[in-house]
Amino acid sequence: MASEKELTDFLKSVEKRAFKRALYAVRDNEAALDIVQDAMIRLAEKYGDRPAAELPLVFQRILSNATMDWFRRQKVRGAIMRNFSDFESAGEDGDFDILETLEAQDGSTASESASDSVSRAQILLAIEAQIEQLPGRQREAFLLRYWEELDVAETAAAMGCSEGSVKTHCSRAVHALAKALKAKGITL
Amino acid sequence: MKNQNTILSSSGLETLQARFALRVTAQLNEASRELPHDVTERLKAAREHALERARLARRAEAATQVQTAGGGVAALLGGGPRSDWWLKLASVLPLVALVIGFVLIEHVHTKTQISAAAEIDAALLADDVPPAAYSDPGFVEFLKAPRD
Repeated sequence: MASEKELTDFLKSVEKRAFKRALYAVRDNEAALDIVQDAMIRLAEKYGDRPAAELPLVFQRILSNATMDWFRRQKVRGAIMRNFSDFESAGEDGDFDILETLEAQDGSTASESASDSVSRAQILLAIEAQIEQLPGRQREAFLLRYWEELDVAETAAAMGCSEGSVKTHCSRAVHALAKALKAKGITL
Repeated sequence: MKNQNTILSSSGLETLQARFALRVTAQLNEASRELPHDVTERLKAAREHALERARLARRAEAATQVQTAGGGVAALLGGGPRSDWWLKLASVLPLVALVIGFVLIEHVHTKTQISAAAEIDAALLADDVPPAAYSDPGFVEFLKAPRD
Protein backbone atom coordinates (compact mmCIF):
# COMPACT_ATOMS: atom_id res chain seq x y z
CA MET A 1 0.00 0.00 0.00
CA ALA A 2 1.39 3.44 -0.99
CA SER A 3 2.09 5.70 1.98
CA GLU A 4 0.82 9.27 2.01
CA LYS A 5 4.31 10.51 1.21
CA GLU A 6 4.63 8.15 -1.75
CA LEU A 7 1.25 9.29 -3.05
CA THR A 8 2.21 12.94 -2.59
CA ASP A 9 5.56 12.49 -4.32
CA PHE A 10 3.94 10.61 -7.17
CA LEU A 11 1.32 13.30 -7.76
CA LYS A 12 3.98 16.00 -7.60
CA SER A 13 6.09 14.19 -10.16
CA VAL A 14 3.26 13.62 -12.59
CA GLU A 15 0.95 16.63 -12.30
CA LYS A 16 2.63 18.95 -14.81
CA ARG A 17 2.94 16.33 -17.52
CA ALA A 18 -0.63 15.26 -16.80
CA PHE A 19 -1.80 18.83 -17.27
CA LYS A 20 0.06 19.09 -20.56
CA ARG A 21 -1.32 15.78 -21.77
CA ALA A 22 -4.85 16.88 -20.98
CA LEU A 23 -4.19 20.28 -22.55
CA TYR A 24 -2.94 18.73 -25.81
CA ALA A 25 -6.18 16.76 -25.96
CA VAL A 26 -8.78 19.34 -24.96
CA ARG A 27 -6.92 22.56 -25.85
CA ASP A 28 -8.43 24.43 -22.94
CA ASN A 29 -6.57 25.38 -19.75
CA GLU A 30 -9.57 25.29 -17.45
CA ALA A 31 -10.81 21.97 -18.77
CA ALA A 32 -7.32 20.46 -18.55
CA LEU A 33 -6.98 21.57 -14.92
CA ASP A 34 -10.39 20.09 -14.11
CA ILE A 35 -9.46 16.82 -15.78
CA VAL A 36 -6.19 16.56 -13.86
CA GLN A 37 -7.89 17.37 -10.56
CA ASP A 38 -10.58 14.81 -11.27
CA ALA A 39 -7.94 12.18 -12.10
CA MET A 40 -5.95 12.98 -8.96
CA ILE A 41 -9.02 12.68 -6.74
CA ARG A 42 -10.06 9.40 -8.34
CA LEU A 43 -6.57 7.99 -7.85
CA ALA A 44 -6.25 9.20 -4.26
CA GLU A 45 -9.70 8.08 -3.16
CA LYS A 46 -10.08 4.77 -4.94
CA TYR A 47 -6.56 3.57 -5.61
CA GLY A 48 -4.60 5.15 -2.75
CA ASP A 49 -4.29 1.72 -1.14
CA ARG A 50 -2.47 0.27 -4.17
CA PRO A 51 1.30 -0.34 -4.06
CA ALA A 52 3.32 2.69 -5.12
CA ALA A 53 4.70 0.82 -8.14
CA GLU A 54 1.20 0.45 -9.61
CA LEU A 55 0.32 4.14 -9.36
CA PRO A 56 1.82 5.36 -12.68
CA LEU A 57 -0.09 2.92 -14.85
CA VAL A 58 -3.32 3.34 -12.89
CA PHE A 59 -3.03 7.12 -13.02
CA GLN A 60 -2.45 7.18 -16.78
CA ARG A 61 -5.52 5.03 -17.27
CA ILE A 62 -7.58 7.28 -15.01
CA LEU A 63 -6.32 10.39 -16.81
CA SER A 64 -7.25 8.92 -20.19
CA ASN A 65 -10.70 8.01 -18.90
CA ALA A 66 -11.17 11.45 -17.35
CA THR A 67 -10.27 13.03 -20.69
CA MET A 68 -12.72 10.79 -22.51
CA ASP A 69 -15.39 11.67 -19.94
CA TRP A 70 -14.79 15.33 -20.68
CA PHE A 71 -15.29 14.72 -24.40
CA ARG A 72 -18.47 12.78 -23.68
CA ARG A 73 -19.82 15.62 -21.57
CA GLN A 74 -18.96 18.05 -24.35
CA LYS A 75 -20.78 15.83 -26.79
CA VAL A 76 -23.84 15.81 -24.57
CA ARG A 77 -23.72 19.60 -24.46
CA GLY A 78 -23.65 19.65 -28.22
CA ALA A 79 -20.22 21.18 -28.49
CA ILE A 80 -18.19 20.79 -31.63
CA MET A 81 -15.62 18.11 -31.09
CA ARG A 82 -12.83 18.59 -33.49
CA ASN A 83 -10.55 16.13 -31.79
CA PHE A 84 -12.97 13.25 -31.63
CA SER A 85 -12.92 12.65 -35.35
CA ASP A 86 -9.17 12.45 -35.03
CA PHE A 87 -9.49 9.25 -33.05
CA GLU A 88 -10.44 7.39 -36.21
CA SER A 89 -8.25 8.78 -38.94
CA ALA A 90 -4.75 7.42 -39.19
CA GLY A 91 -3.42 9.83 -41.75
CA GLU A 92 -1.21 8.88 -44.64
CA ASP A 93 2.46 9.58 -44.52
CA GLY A 94 2.95 8.96 -48.21
CA ASP A 95 6.52 8.29 -49.13
CA PHE A 96 7.91 10.29 -46.27
CA ASP A 97 11.14 8.84 -44.95
CA ILE A 98 11.86 9.24 -41.24
CA LEU A 99 15.49 8.21 -41.74
CA GLU A 100 15.99 11.27 -43.88
CA THR A 101 14.84 13.51 -41.04
CA LEU A 102 16.84 11.69 -38.41
CA GLU A 103 19.98 11.73 -40.49
CA ALA A 104 19.60 15.43 -40.93
CA GLN A 105 19.17 15.79 -37.18
CA ASP A 106 22.21 13.66 -36.42
CA GLY A 107 24.42 16.17 -38.13
CA SER A 108 23.88 18.67 -35.34
CA THR A 109 26.34 21.19 -36.72
CA ALA A 110 24.47 21.22 -40.00
CA SER A 111 21.16 21.82 -38.27
CA GLU A 112 22.37 24.86 -36.36
CA SER A 113 21.29 27.19 -39.13
CA ALA A 114 17.67 26.05 -38.90
CA SER A 115 17.69 26.46 -35.14
CA ASP A 116 19.06 29.93 -35.47
CA SER A 117 16.17 31.00 -37.67
CA VAL A 118 13.53 30.22 -35.05
CA SER A 119 13.76 31.01 -31.39
CA ARG A 120 13.74 28.21 -28.83
CA ALA A 121 10.36 29.23 -27.46
CA GLN A 122 8.88 29.23 -30.92
CA ILE A 123 10.27 25.75 -31.53
CA LEU A 124 8.62 24.57 -28.34
CA LEU A 125 5.33 26.08 -29.39
CA ALA A 126 5.60 24.55 -32.83
CA ILE A 127 6.30 21.11 -31.40
CA GLU A 128 3.37 21.42 -29.00
CA ALA A 129 1.15 22.56 -31.84
CA GLN A 130 2.13 19.49 -33.85
CA ILE A 131 1.48 17.26 -30.86
CA GLU A 132 -1.99 18.79 -30.60
CA GLN A 133 -2.56 18.18 -34.28
CA LEU A 134 -1.90 14.47 -33.99
CA PRO A 135 -4.92 12.17 -34.06
CA GLY A 136 -6.03 11.46 -30.49
CA ARG A 137 -5.01 7.82 -30.28
CA GLN A 138 -1.65 8.48 -31.90
CA ARG A 139 -0.97 11.34 -29.51
CA GLU A 140 -2.00 9.25 -26.52
CA ALA A 141 0.17 6.31 -27.55
CA PHE A 142 3.14 8.57 -28.32
CA LEU A 143 2.96 10.46 -25.01
CA LEU A 144 2.40 7.39 -22.87
CA ARG A 145 5.12 5.39 -24.57
CA TYR A 146 7.83 8.02 -24.90
CA TRP A 147 6.97 10.79 -22.44
CA GLU A 148 5.56 8.75 -19.58
CA GLU A 149 8.08 6.04 -20.50
CA LEU A 150 5.64 3.15 -20.22
CA ASP A 151 6.61 0.03 -22.13
CA VAL A 152 4.47 -1.24 -25.01
CA ALA A 153 2.47 -3.63 -22.83
CA GLU A 154 1.77 -0.96 -20.21
CA THR A 155 0.78 1.55 -22.87
CA ALA A 156 -1.58 -1.02 -24.36
CA ALA A 157 -3.08 -1.66 -20.93
CA ALA A 158 -3.50 2.06 -20.27
CA MET A 159 -5.13 2.63 -23.65
CA GLY A 160 -7.20 -0.54 -23.63
CA CYS A 161 -5.87 -1.78 -26.96
CA SER A 162 -3.43 -4.37 -28.30
CA GLU A 163 0.34 -4.01 -28.27
CA GLY A 164 0.32 -4.09 -32.07
CA SER A 165 -2.00 -1.08 -32.13
CA VAL A 166 0.32 0.79 -29.79
CA LYS A 167 3.28 0.16 -32.08
CA THR A 168 1.29 1.28 -35.11
CA HIS A 169 0.04 4.44 -33.38
CA CYS A 170 3.54 5.29 -32.14
CA SER A 171 5.12 4.73 -35.53
CA ARG A 172 2.53 6.88 -37.29
CA ALA A 173 2.83 9.61 -34.67
CA VAL A 174 6.62 9.71 -35.00
CA HIS A 175 6.41 9.86 -38.79
CA ALA A 176 3.75 12.57 -38.71
CA LEU A 177 5.74 14.69 -36.24
CA ALA A 178 9.00 14.25 -38.09
CA LYS A 179 7.37 15.18 -41.38
CA ALA A 180 5.58 18.23 -39.95
CA LEU A 181 8.63 19.53 -38.11
CA LYS A 182 10.84 19.04 -41.13
CA ALA A 183 8.36 20.99 -43.24
CA LYS A 184 8.70 23.86 -40.78
CA GLY A 185 12.48 23.67 -40.89
CA ILE A 186 12.69 22.54 -37.29
CA THR A 187 15.29 20.06 -36.23
CA LEU A 188 15.77 18.76 -32.73
CA MET B 1 16.80 6.92 -49.46
CA LYS B 2 13.72 4.78 -49.76
CA ASN B 3 15.92 1.80 -50.49
CA GLN B 4 17.93 2.57 -47.40
CA ASN B 5 14.72 2.59 -45.39
CA THR B 6 13.60 -0.74 -46.72
CA ILE B 7 16.85 -2.46 -45.77
CA LEU B 8 16.50 -1.27 -42.19
CA SER B 9 15.37 -4.01 -39.86
CA SER B 10 12.20 -3.37 -37.91
CA SER B 11 14.21 -3.09 -34.70
CA GLY B 12 16.49 -0.56 -36.36
CA LEU B 13 13.51 1.50 -37.43
CA GLU B 14 12.06 1.30 -33.94
CA THR B 15 15.36 2.54 -32.53
CA LEU B 16 15.34 5.50 -34.92
CA GLN B 17 11.74 6.27 -33.98
CA ALA B 18 12.58 6.05 -30.29
CA ARG B 19 15.54 8.41 -30.71
CA PHE B 20 13.40 10.97 -32.49
CA ALA B 21 10.58 10.55 -29.96
CA LEU B 22 12.94 11.09 -27.03
CA ARG B 23 14.18 14.31 -28.58
CA VAL B 24 10.60 15.50 -28.92
CA THR B 25 9.70 14.52 -25.37
CA ALA B 26 12.81 16.28 -24.06
CA GLN B 27 11.33 19.45 -25.54
CA LEU B 28 7.96 18.63 -23.99
CA ASN B 29 9.63 18.20 -20.59
CA GLU B 30 11.09 21.64 -20.96
CA ALA B 31 7.68 23.03 -21.87
CA SER B 32 6.03 21.36 -18.89
CA ARG B 33 8.64 22.84 -16.52
CA GLU B 34 7.80 26.32 -17.72
CA LEU B 35 4.12 26.35 -16.84
CA PRO B 36 2.58 29.67 -15.77
CA HIS B 37 2.55 30.34 -12.03
CA ASP B 38 -1.26 30.29 -11.75
CA VAL B 39 -1.37 26.86 -13.39
CA THR B 40 1.25 25.41 -11.04
CA GLU B 41 -0.61 26.88 -8.07
CA ARG B 42 -3.88 25.37 -9.21
CA LEU B 43 -2.19 22.03 -9.76
CA LYS B 44 -0.80 22.25 -6.24
CA ALA B 45 -4.26 23.04 -4.85
CA ALA B 46 -5.74 20.15 -6.82
CA ARG B 47 -3.08 17.82 -5.42
CA GLU B 48 -3.75 18.99 -1.85
CA HIS B 49 -7.47 18.51 -2.37
CA ALA B 50 -6.94 14.99 -3.70
CA LEU B 51 -4.65 14.10 -0.79
CA GLU B 52 -7.21 15.42 1.69
CA ARG B 53 -9.86 13.24 0.10
CA ALA B 54 -7.48 10.29 0.35
CA ARG B 55 -6.94 11.02 4.06
CA LEU B 56 -10.70 11.12 4.64
CA ALA B 57 -11.17 7.86 2.74
CA ARG B 58 -8.45 6.19 4.80
CA ARG B 59 -9.93 7.47 8.07
CA ALA B 60 -13.38 6.22 7.11
CA GLU B 61 -11.94 2.84 6.21
CA ALA B 62 -10.02 2.64 9.49
CA ALA B 63 -13.14 3.58 11.48
CA THR B 64 -15.13 0.86 9.73
CA GLN B 65 -12.43 -1.69 10.54
CA VAL B 66 -12.32 -0.63 14.22
CA GLN B 67 -16.12 -0.84 14.45
CA THR B 68 -16.14 -4.31 12.90
CA ALA B 69 -13.27 -5.49 15.09
CA GLY B 70 -14.92 -3.96 18.20
CA GLY B 71 -18.16 -5.78 17.51
CA GLY B 72 -16.28 -9.04 17.10
CA VAL B 73 -14.35 -8.55 20.34
CA ALA B 74 -17.52 -7.71 22.27
CA ALA B 75 -19.15 -10.84 20.96
CA LEU B 76 -16.12 -12.92 21.86
CA LEU B 77 -15.62 -11.50 25.36
CA GLY B 78 -18.39 -10.07 27.61
CA GLY B 79 -21.41 -10.20 25.41
CA GLY B 80 -21.01 -13.68 23.98
CA PRO B 81 -21.77 -16.19 26.80
CA ARG B 82 -24.22 -13.91 28.55
CA SER B 83 -26.31 -13.29 25.47
CA ASP B 84 -26.14 -17.00 24.73
CA TRP B 85 -27.50 -17.86 28.19
CA TRP B 86 -30.35 -15.38 27.79
CA LEU B 87 -31.12 -16.79 24.40
CA LYS B 88 -31.38 -20.31 25.82
CA LEU B 89 -33.55 -19.09 28.70
CA ALA B 90 -35.80 -17.23 26.36
CA SER B 91 -36.25 -20.29 24.20
CA VAL B 92 -37.06 -22.57 27.23
CA LEU B 93 -39.53 -20.19 28.91
CA PRO B 94 -42.49 -20.82 26.59
CA LEU B 95 -42.05 -24.58 27.06
CA VAL B 96 -42.08 -24.24 30.84
CA ALA B 97 -45.19 -22.05 30.68
CA LEU B 98 -46.91 -24.64 28.50
CA VAL B 99 -46.18 -27.50 30.94
CA ILE B 100 -47.41 -25.42 33.91
CA GLY B 101 -50.55 -24.63 31.95
CA PHE B 102 -51.23 -28.31 31.27
CA VAL B 103 -50.76 -29.23 34.95
CA LEU B 104 -53.13 -26.46 36.06
CA ILE B 105 -55.80 -27.46 33.55
CA GLU B 106 -55.52 -31.11 34.64
CA HIS B 107 -55.78 -30.10 38.32
CA VAL B 108 -58.85 -27.92 37.76
CA HIS B 109 -60.48 -30.58 35.61
CA THR B 110 -59.97 -33.31 38.28
CA LYS B 111 -61.26 -31.03 41.04
CA THR B 112 -64.39 -30.26 39.03
CA GLN B 113 -65.05 -33.97 38.43
CA ILE B 114 -64.63 -34.77 42.15
CA SER B 115 -66.94 -32.02 43.27
CA ALA B 116 -69.56 -33.05 40.67
CA ALA B 117 -69.44 -36.70 41.90
CA ALA B 118 -69.70 -35.57 45.54
CA GLU B 119 -72.77 -33.51 44.76
CA ILE B 120 -74.45 -36.55 43.13
CA ASP B 121 -73.55 -38.81 46.05
CA ALA B 122 -74.86 -36.28 48.58
CA ALA B 123 -78.09 -35.89 46.66
CA LEU B 124 -78.55 -39.68 46.52
CA LEU B 125 -77.82 -40.19 50.18
CA ALA B 126 -80.05 -37.36 51.32
CA ASP B 127 -83.03 -38.52 49.24
CA ASP B 128 -85.53 -41.22 50.28
CA VAL B 129 -84.85 -44.77 49.12
CA PRO B 130 -87.37 -45.70 46.43
CA PRO B 131 -89.36 -48.98 47.00
CA ALA B 132 -88.05 -50.50 43.84
CA ALA B 133 -84.56 -50.37 45.37
CA TYR B 134 -85.42 -53.17 47.75
CA SER B 135 -86.04 -55.52 44.87
CA ASP B 136 -82.45 -54.91 43.68
CA PRO B 137 -80.19 -57.78 44.85
CA GLY B 138 -77.17 -55.49 45.08
CA PHE B 139 -78.96 -53.11 47.42
CA VAL B 140 -80.09 -56.03 49.57
CA GLU B 141 -76.49 -57.25 49.83
CA PHE B 142 -75.44 -53.69 50.74
CA LEU B 143 -77.95 -53.64 53.55
CA LYS B 144 -76.82 -57.09 54.84
CA ALA B 145 -73.16 -56.12 54.84
CA PRO B 146 -71.76 -55.29 58.27
CA ARG B 147 -71.25 -51.60 59.03
CA ASP B 148 -67.86 -50.38 60.12
